[in-house]
Amino acid sequence: MTMMKKILIIDDDKIFSKILRDGLVAGGQGKYEVVTAFDGEEGFEVAERERPDLIMLDLMMPKVTGIECLKKIRAEEWGQDTPVIVETQLSDLEKMSEGVELGVRGYIIKSDYSIDAILRQVGDVFIQ
Amino acid sequence: MFPRELLPLVAILVGLYLAVVALSYWWARRIKREIETKEREIKHRLYEIAILKEISDRTGYSLNIQKILDVIAGSLRQFIEYSAASYMLLEPSKIVFKVDLDQSVSPQFIKDIRGRMLKSLEALLGRTLTDMPVEETLTGAIMLDDLNEPAQSFFNIPLVIGNQLVGVLTVAHTKSGLYKEEEMAILYKIVSQASQAVTSLEDVVRTEQDKIAAMLESMVEGVVMTDRDYRIVAINPSAKEIVGYAPTGIPTIFDLAEKFKGMFDLKEKLEESIKLDKLLTLDGATFGDKYYQILVSPVKANRGAMKGQILGGVIIFHDITHEKEAEKMRSDFTSMMVHELRSPLGNIKKIGELMKSSKVLEDKEASTEYAGMLYESSSSMLDLVNDLLDVSKLEAGKFEVDKQSANLKELLVERVKFFDTTARDASVSLKVSIGEGVPDTVLLDAKRTMQIMNNLLSNALKYTPKGGTVTVECFLHTPGTAIGDEALRFGLPWFSDETQKNTSKLEKSVVVAVTDTGEGLAPENIEKLWNKFAQFTSAARKGADHKGTGLGLVIVKGIVEAHGGTVGVGSKLGSGSTFYFTIPL
Repeated sequence: MTMMKKILIIDDDKIFSKILRDGLVAGGQGKYEVVTAFDGEEGFEVAERERPDLIMLDLMMPKVTGIECLKKIRAEEWGQDTPVIVETQLSDLEKMSEGVELGVRGYIIKSDYSIDAILRQVGDVFIQ
Repeated sequence: MFPRELLPLVAILVGLYLAVVALSYWWARRIKREIETKEREIKHRLYEIAILKEISDRTGYSLNIQKILDVIAGSLRQFIEYSAASYMLLEPSKIVFKVDLDQSVSPQFIKDIRGRMLKSLEALLGRTLTDMPVEETLTGAIMLDDLNEPAQSFFNIPLVIGNQLVGVLTVAHTKSGLYKEEEMAILYKIVSQASQAVTSLEDVVRTEQDKIAAMLESMVEGVVMTDRDYRIVAINPSAKEIVGYAPTGIPTIFDLAEKFKGMFDLKEKLEESIKLDKLLTLDGATFGDKYYQILVSPVKANRGAMKGQILGGVIIFHDITHEKEAEKMRSDFTSMMVHELRSPLGNIKKIGELMKSSKVLEDKEASTEYAGMLYESSSSMLDLVNDLLDVSKLEAGKFEVDKQSANLKELLVERVKFFDTTARDASVSLKVSIGEGVPDTVLLDAKRTMQIMNNLLSNALKYTPKGGTVTVECFLHTPGTAIGDEALRFGLPWFSDETQKNTSKLEKSVVVAVTDTGEGLAPENIEKLWNKFAQFTSAARKGADHKGTGLGLVIVKGIVEAHGGTVGVGSKLGSGSTFYFTIPL
């Protein structure tokens, strides 16, 4: 039996977060457990507490931005190798390059990618 | 017969007649000589005028002494006889020696006058010139080896410009005994007048150059001028500062081109501009944190003998940072709008995807939740589209309010209740405080006033941290007292507005304010709040930590102004802000 994978979604768009969670849970057929946080600050706290196997990270968030949050996570011993998929909009390409430096595994374009496409991307992370 | 006694008389008469004839002949000769002298003088004078005019016509404002000498040498033929008219000019690294031959002479003749001219130059200068190369040019008649006539007549005129000896002009002939003092005096006069003209022209040019230099120095735009060989002849302090070159010294075109590395090949562009005689406008140059448009243009003479000829090139640095910023603001605004529309639209699409594929629809609870999400997503899109419509109406001057008698106090209390849940979720305390004397009914557009309150309250709640307080205030303003003082008198929390000092002069009105205990605003950002583009940018600069289009406040201002009122902001960084508006009674 395969172990359940824990995925943390850090996104301030509550609707998107809910859709993504439902999509991952339904599409993962019991393989994924999903936890959520709604800003960068909370995201770090939840990550520290839950030690997720994958983080889905939005870049544009209030208080602590996605990049700042990721820097904080990377600075911790437990967070150095956690795979991260960045959620972006097409206009965030500049920020994505920042993400590459922080060891981001992939990215999804929020309004363009279907739930199926996101599931494939997430599945790829765990196959590797 | 002829009486003898008459003979002496006849003799006297004859003598008289002869004397008269002799005298008149003498007179006639004298007059003729005088006329001849006059004629010669006139001729000389005419020559002088003609030659000076020719010099000025042909050389224009040129300071090229060689050109002037060519004119003088070329005109001498009308005036004196010579075998060779020549000049020698001292240049920094060589001596120019030019000979115009009117008749064929021997090489020895040329060698002779060359030696004599060099000697007189040396004598005048008081130093030897043996180490200087001599550049020799012969024009006119050809040299013949078998001739053997030496220079018998020879005359030298030194050329002095601005108190400095620059060369000698010489006429020489194989015949002896030529070149009388009188002729030479005229030649001397012409040469000295031409020299004087050049000297004073040099002064004028120097003064003008000083003026141009002063102008160039004080210009904000960077200016670099080059000659036809792309050598930099002038560069102003602005240009040096822009590219980061030391204030002293003149860089070479290569130094300058090096600073443009990674942008474009400046030297190539300059060559292109000069060769094609074309103005080039080059974008995309950045120095420090500024953007420059670089103009590269040929410089042409627009008067004188050189008219139309290309003298060199000019490079102008035009600071377009402001334009670029405005452009960036506009494009940021557009991409923000697209983003704000894409997010809910993308969500709606995914909700549909999930509803189709998973068992959401079979679950009553999930169905309700998804319907709610669909409603919320489409509402936020609709709100945004409505905001955009409002702004475009405001910009077109077509924004109107429908004023009716309404209970403002009730409206405010109702709005506070509406935001209660949001405030509680954010752990922010939301209060309403209404001062005395506010009339029960106020003439206003209730729907639009609700829109104002929605904007101000959602902003305040968004920017106030946990444990903070947001207070909705309403009180009466009477002319003569500043609004801030009135608020303090009512014991209301208030951050005073530094930008609007004469609120005491406002007419009698109702003041509505929302004061928060949020992060506050920097003075430079307050000004930008009411600008459609800038408000967003100021938020973006903080690291894109606040979403929102920034249209809300633009619309608030528009609604308030349509009521005849005023908007204002007071803020203290780190403590909080007060957003207020007035509705005249």
